[in-house]
Amino acid sequence: MKASKKSIGLGRTLIAAAVLAAFGTAYAQDDVAALTQPQSSFGAGVAVLSGHQGDRSIFGQFNGMREHGGYLDLDIDLVKRDDSTGTWTILKGRDLGLDSRELSFTVNKQGDWKFGGDYSELVHREIRTVNTGVTGIGSTVLTDTRLATPGSGTDEHLQLKRTRLGLSGDKWINPGLQFQVSFKNEDKEGARFWARGYECASYVCSNTQSAANQRWALLFLPEPVDSNTKQVEARLNYHTDKLFVSGGYYGSFYTNSNGNVRMNVSAPLNGSTGLPVASVSPLAVLNLPMALPPNNEAHQFYVDGNYRFTSKTRANFKLAYTRATQNESFAAMGLADGSQPRADFGGQLDSTLAQVGLITHPMARLTVNANLRYEKKDDKTPIAVYNVENGTFWSNGHQTNEKTNGKVEATYLFPANFRGTFGIDYEKAKRELPLAESVVGPSGVALAGFNALRGETQEVGYRAELRRSISETLIGAIAFSHSKRDGSDWYNLCTNGACTAAGLVYGGLYSGDTLSAATVNTGAYPFTLSDRTRDKVRLTADWSVSDRLSLMFVAESGDDKYEPPSSAGLQKSKLSLFSVDASYAVSDMWKLSAYASQGDQTINTGQNTGYRAELKDNNTALGVGITGKLSGRLEVGGKLSYVNDVNKYAFSLYPLNTNAGAIAQVNTYGGLPDVTYRETKLSLYGKYALQKNADVRVDLIRYQAKLDEWTWGYNGVPFTYQDNTTVSLNPNQSVTIIGATYIYKFK
Amino acid sequence: MIEFRRYLLGLAAAVAAAGFLGASAPAAGQTKSADDLVLRGDAVCTKCHTAELTPHVLEIAKTTMGTVADPRTPTCTSCHGESLKHRNGDGKPDVTFDKKSTTPIEARNEACLSCHRNDPSRSHWDGSTHQSRGLACTSCHEVHTAHDKVRDKRTQPEVCFTCHKEQRGQIDRPSHHPIPEGKMACSDCHNPHGSTGRALMKRDSVNQVCYTCHMEKRGPFVHSHEPVDEDCTNCHNPHGTVTENMLKMRPPFLCHSCHTPHSSNNIPALLGLQDSPNSATTTGKNAINYNMARGCLNCHTQVHGSNNPSVVDPTPQFMLR
Repeated sequence: MKASKKSIGLGRTLIAAAVLAAFGTAYAQDDVAALTQPQSSFGAGVAVLSGHQGDRSIFGQFNGMREHGGYLDLDIDLVKRDDSTGTWTILKGRDLGLDSRELSFTVNKQGDWKFGGDYSELVHREIRTVNTGVTGIGSTVLTDTRLATPGSGTDEHLQLKRTRLGLSGDKWINPGLQFQVSFKNEDKEGARFWARGYECASYVCSNTQSAANQRWALLFLPEPVDSNTKQVEARLNYHTDKLFVSGGYYGSFYTNSNGNVRMNVSAPLNGSTGLPVASVSPLAVLNLPMALPPNNEAHQFYVDGNYRFTSKTRANFKLAYTRATQNESFAAMGLADGSQPRADFGGQLDSTLAQVGLITHPMARLTVNANLRYEKKDDKTPIAVYNVENGTFWSNGHQTNEKTNGKVEATYLFPANFRGTFGIDYEKAKRELPLAESVVGPSGVALAGFNALRGETQEVGYRAELRRSISETLIGAIAFSHSKRDGSDWYNLCTNGACTAAGLVYGGLYSGDTLSAATVNTGAYPFTLSDRTRDKVRLTADWSVSDRLSLMFVAESGDDKYEPPSSAGLQKSKLSLFSVDASYAVSDMWKLSAYASQGDQTINTGQNTGYRAELKDNNTALGVGITGKLSGRLEVGGKLSYVNDVNKYAFSLYPLNTNAGAIAQVNTYGGLPDVTYRETKLSLYGKYALQKNADVRVDLIRYQAKLDEWTWGYNGVPFTYQDNTTVSLNPNQSVTIIGATYIYKFK
Repeated sequence: MIEFRRYLLGLAAAVAAAGFLGASAPAAGQTKSADDLVLRGDAVCTKCHTAELTPHVLEIAKTTMGTVADPRTPTCTSCHGESLKHRNGDGKPDVTFDKKSTTPIEARNEACLSCHRNDPSRSHWDGSTHQSRGLACTSCHEVHTAHDKVRDKRTQPEVCFTCHKEQRGQIDRPSHHPIPEGKMACSDCHNPHGSTGRALMKRDSVNQVCYTCHMEKRGPFVHSHEPVDEDCTNCHNPHGTVTENMLKMRPPFLCHSCHTPHSSNNIPALLGLQDSPNSATTTGKNAINYNMARGCLNCHTQVHGSNNPSVVDPTPQFMLR
């Protein structure tokens, strides 16, 4: 019998439906399982590096790949979930073959309890090499022997190692109550770049500076680091439909195994021209102990949270009290020489913080946001006589200060999803001035080399912004801000003859105009306290040109103008930034990205009667990237990035400077040479799927860095310490890395 | 015959659909039905959003949201809304989260905050900088993936640099925190969800955050340096600098921004670039010593403060020892 076409068609339909019903579910389950079950993996790899460690000191300062030419590495990602109980077991390891390794584990019954721990090591390697005769580096007693010539000592590579262990846990006691606790312990050890220098004051050494007697010395002295920090935090979180509140304790503890460091220094040392001098006046002073950081601790109790009055009105808050203390025995630190007024400092700082914020929608299109924050630090450290200069004594000061910050802003939603925001910001800071017990002697030395302090500063700022966050093609914002800082009268510290002749008294309060008008008063004033005007404009635009292409633009410009009572110190700073980013999906398989940024910063600052400096920093950053699939099994990608940072130092003279040497220096050299940093990094990779659960990945990285600086030497002439210690850096560094990694995936 | 064929086709479709369609979404606390693929009650969505057609959608199951044993975990419609029109093939879901979404930001965020509001790290989200600038949770977070880039410190910075371009250029400078090396991320210092500290610091102030790793700078010290105690960023740029120790300017320029120097006629100079080279009588406070090497810090080493209590000349109060 001939089957009719209609019968065949019907038959196929029924067969197709039967097959789909029987096997369609099974097919979906296989795919679904692969997509939806947590996956684990481990990766074992090897990397080979070109050159030697001097060629990669900048590249290898944190990643553990500086010292050797090859490394084995291991990454682990073990993720298991028990679907019947909702319990996760996670073990993660990163860079286990390097000394920048991390390992963590977590066991978490989701919604019930969690327990975890982590261990990590991180070594920071100083990028510069020190050639020195100093021995005992890393210990608290060093010996310094002058090298016969610069460069004839031992090459030392300083490093600091952090070893961290953390434990944490949390438990839901009931659906609205959760307890959390965490503990972190970190040991830090090694040696850090430091120095020791002194020029004999006339009341300490009577000899004069000459070819036969050296009155000053600068020495390389590495700080020995052997310390521990502990942080513990416990909190109880409670929530209802409207309220979330959390109360907790945060304690932090610093312990230093070293109280002081001494260097045994002996003559001869270099004189001012680099030749050895047998008579060194400050030797006894250079052999005195230097204080290292003391043990300290801080305890904070806090309550914070938020409350939803309605769906349209919400508030948040925080109240915190902190007591920070430092009372390590001076004798235990090895610093007690019988002259100190107390057995320990008795340092105590009590801080109180109160913050409240409110956000509300009084109308459908209007949002009002307000915040008030108050913090007071009360210094309760005992006052005692710690300071002396040539027979004049005075006490320590206090750091009591209060800061109040407030903001109010209103945002209105205009048509087409534009939002306009106007805001006012306010900050007031009150600082404790030197106490009446402090006495400045007849030598008239101002407190630590500046002319005045200020008890109060306040800053009021205004912001306006137009933003569009919702659009199928173009989102972005333009924002303006302006703020002005001023403050109370200045508390004068200057008592030299010229200041006195101008009628200024120590502790007198004078306006900035009065101090400016006193023409002899050319001292510097702290920029953190000076009047300041700040302006900034920022434009961002994110444009989806098409389904495949999107572009992002950022442009910003800002400047700070300072108005201290003199023309010395920080006067002005300006910055600008232009940036464009692009991403293009060539196809579903291939994607391109690129960016270009240009940033400029200029700072104008100056010494009181010497020079004026214009410091410029120009930063250019470029990058391109590509990812794609050459086949179903082979994924490839690459990134090329380039950074060029140029720092310029241009000088001019203070207008009334008539010193011939200063004039000649500026006229001849103008300023200082540029300091430039350039970095190029090319990263290429290919990942091939050997089978469904195993990949092999090959990486090729080429890194180049050039740091042209004069900090430690210029034009082949090294800066030498008085013991002929020198510091160097290979200015042109490059490294090529080839790595291969086998990645195995499993469930 | 034709009608019978149509009837059989409809029956075949119904049989096939029964392999995938489940009952309507069960209430929280109930287990998945046989028709659900990954989440409780997802059958209404996964009948179309299949593994073949939209594999990336199903990857949400690899995350905590796919832990159906936790009664709090959502289903598709918990975040995307009931989306009846979309189910009938008409338009997008009620709530969408992609870049071109026209869903109001507050509505998108409420989908997340309805569960994630009661978390201490988000207690100050309302009124925070990112919230008031109209950022959605999904501006930074990816949900339908096991690897949310912003939650992995190796890939987090590139998410933040989408907006923060200035910092992108700074972290590659030679003096930097180990962010390019993947050992630190932006969230080690900042809480992007809001905080009481300036610049979204994790703790209540810049210094409190810095002290968590640099606790030796906390003191208080016998001889203190007030701008240090007030704000580390008075002198440092923690995102990266060319100058050593992440200083905004090198000494002496940084120090001369507040302090009167020893000698007003010493113009900062380099060895070999001096109009008057050093002689045997050149003092220690000379143009080379306070410009090269560590500058002012060649002598004033204890710039963060010194606990030296000695009341003997030469005094430690000028941070010399």
